[in-house]
Amino acid sequence: MSPSDEIEYTKVRELRGPLVVVEGVAGIGWDEYVRITLASGERRHGVVLDADRDLAVVQVLEGTAGMDPEGVWAAFSGSPLRVPVGTDWLGRVCNGRGGPLDGGPPVFGSDTAEVGGAPINPVRREPPSEPVLTGVGAVDALTTLVRGQKLPVFSVAGLPHLELAAQIAAQATAAGEPFSVVFAGMGLTHADASFVRDALEERSAAGELVLLLNTADDPVIERILTPRIALTVAEHLAFTEARHVLVVMTDMTTYAEALREVSAARGEIPARRAYPGYLYSDLASLYERCGRIRGRPGSVTVLPVLTMPAGDITHPVPDLTGYITEGQIVLSAETHARGVYPPLDALSSLSRLMRKGAGPGRTRDDHLDVAAQLLAALARARQVRDLADLVGQAALSPTDRRYLDYEDAFLRDFADQRSDEPRDLDTSLERGWRALLTLPRSQLSMLPAHLLDAHGAKDTPDKEVSS
Amino acid sequence: MKTPAPDFQTTDDALSPVRTELLRAAHADAEATLARAEREAAQLVHQARAEARAVVGEARRQGEADGADAARDLLVQARRHARSHTLAARRETYEELRREAAKRVGGVRGTDRYAAVRERLERRARLLLGPGAEVSEHTDGGVVARAPGRRVDLSLTALADRALDRMGAEVRSLWEP
Repeated sequence: MSPSDEIEYTKVRELRGPLVVVEGVAGIGWDEYVRITLASGERRHGVVLDADRDLAVVQVLEGTAGMDPEGVWAAFSGSPLRVPVGTDWLGRVCNGRGGPLDGGPPVFGSDTAEVGGAPINPVRREPPSEPVLTGVGAVDALTTLVRGQKLPVFSVAGLPHLELAAQIAAQATAAGEPFSVVFAGMGLTHADASFVRDALEERSAAGELVLLLNTADDPVIERILTPRIALTVAEHLAFTEARHVLVVMTDMTTYAEALREVSAARGEIPARRAYPGYLYSDLASLYERCGRIRGRPGSVTVLPVLTMPAGDITHPVPDLTGYITEGQIVLSAETHARGVYPPLDALSSLSRLMRKGAGPGRTRDDHLDVAAQLLAALARARQVRDLADLVGQAALSPTDRRYLDYEDAFLRDFADQRSDEPRDLDTSLERGWRALLTLPRSQLSMLPAHLLDAHGAKDTPDKEVSS
Repeated sequence: MKTPAPDFQTTDDALSPVRTELLRAAHADAEATLARAEREAAQLVHQARAEARAVVGEARRQGEADGADAARDLLVQARRHARSHTLAARRETYEELRREAAKRVGGVRGTDRYAAVRERLERRARLLLGPGAEVSEHTDGGVVARAPGRRVDLSLTALADRALDRMGAEVRSLWEP
């Protein structure tokens, strides 16, 4: 314990919303963690938002309700928040600042780590090479997630991105190697938080999940800590405990809004859409904490979920996220309207590291070819649909009409999946093949002849698509 | 010229093949219709049976899926229940440890060592807040020191709490072998 931690400052100049302005302090820095004791003995926590001469502005995580300025004792820890790290986190459900929500004792750890963390040294990064299979067919087959990758899900309000995030968190595996999931929910409604708890109960009971739930009514400063705590816990599980860890963070737009709110409270000059000018570097400081480290076991893979306000992909949050991350999974309202789950917009989705984690020796020999052919055929099907809108289906050539059948088979047979159904990669690729075989063999030019022979591709496939 | 009277016998004979043929055709038609009707009936029955089998199969699958869902829900609930009991028991043990630690540390007050402990605490308080700090005895033992705008709580309970906070993972030995 540092000497400064033992001294409690008692002079409160004012209480303003969730902020406490403490007077007479010395040697206080930004982001320091604060322990606040009330006259009643109640314990609260806070973070220094601003420090100027002998004044410190502290945002109280639990809020300032019921606080009497005469009975507030603030002890500054001398450093940003540190959390215990270790396997004790597995199977626990905690709030956004790591406090237990599941009725258990606090989480203990043999060590503590600063939640700010530090991105991995680029020189020590190990290139990604193995997949994380999510059990979601369309994602695994078309935008394979690779260990150590950061792959965001871009969605819009009203789409089932939380279901998809929860499904991936519940099902993902790393080919039988030790695997854990850290799920950081930010700004969730209570209904959503309860849905996530139910969906992940099985994995939590199996001791493979850390669940951090920051609800919409929790203080915004806690929302800024939540992903950092999640990543700190994940880093220890990965690089010390030798596990492959998937960190699901949802919803990053809510996180960015919390950042904006805190930035405004600090009086910073607003940049694009009033987000702070450092939004890019702040997001990077989170996303870049994923990866693999040379000479160390385990990996941290990050799957941030963000909603694009009004579906605007140029909005600062998706825009800046897109600069940092390695691809994106885009959800589409149009596909959702056709009753397909997950409503993936396959043509806008991309995993830049897919080639490093899929294909011969990693997933299946034909994986990359099938994925490329599925997307190429889908792109042509999209053109044909546009053409059909202009000239009518009757005017299409027989081959073009096959593409419309293909698109239907792609959506119904390949992409569509129940939200509680784990689908293995073999099944997904076979379904992909079935969709492709609705097209004449001559159209499957991206697939090698021996594979086409093995799957019985014909020049005039049967009209009916088996489902 | 007079028309000869019709020879009915001859006409009858002449029409006989026509009649036979008509009759045969009618029989054949009837048989074909009957056969078709039987075929259609058999087909309908077959189709109905297939549909019935499909409906039963689907109902069975649905029932099994519902059953499996219900079983999974029960299992999840049971696990959650068991887990929350375990965690609640751990929390209770941890709180008991805190209470016990506070009691034992508080017990120092009644011993001969207390004067020395109190003196050390007072020295510590003055070191932190300066020699002008006002130091008073805490009701639970130990001292509380005050200076303008600052305070140091060196009560025995606070010291016990902080010591426990520093224990970290050692606390796990309460429920782990």
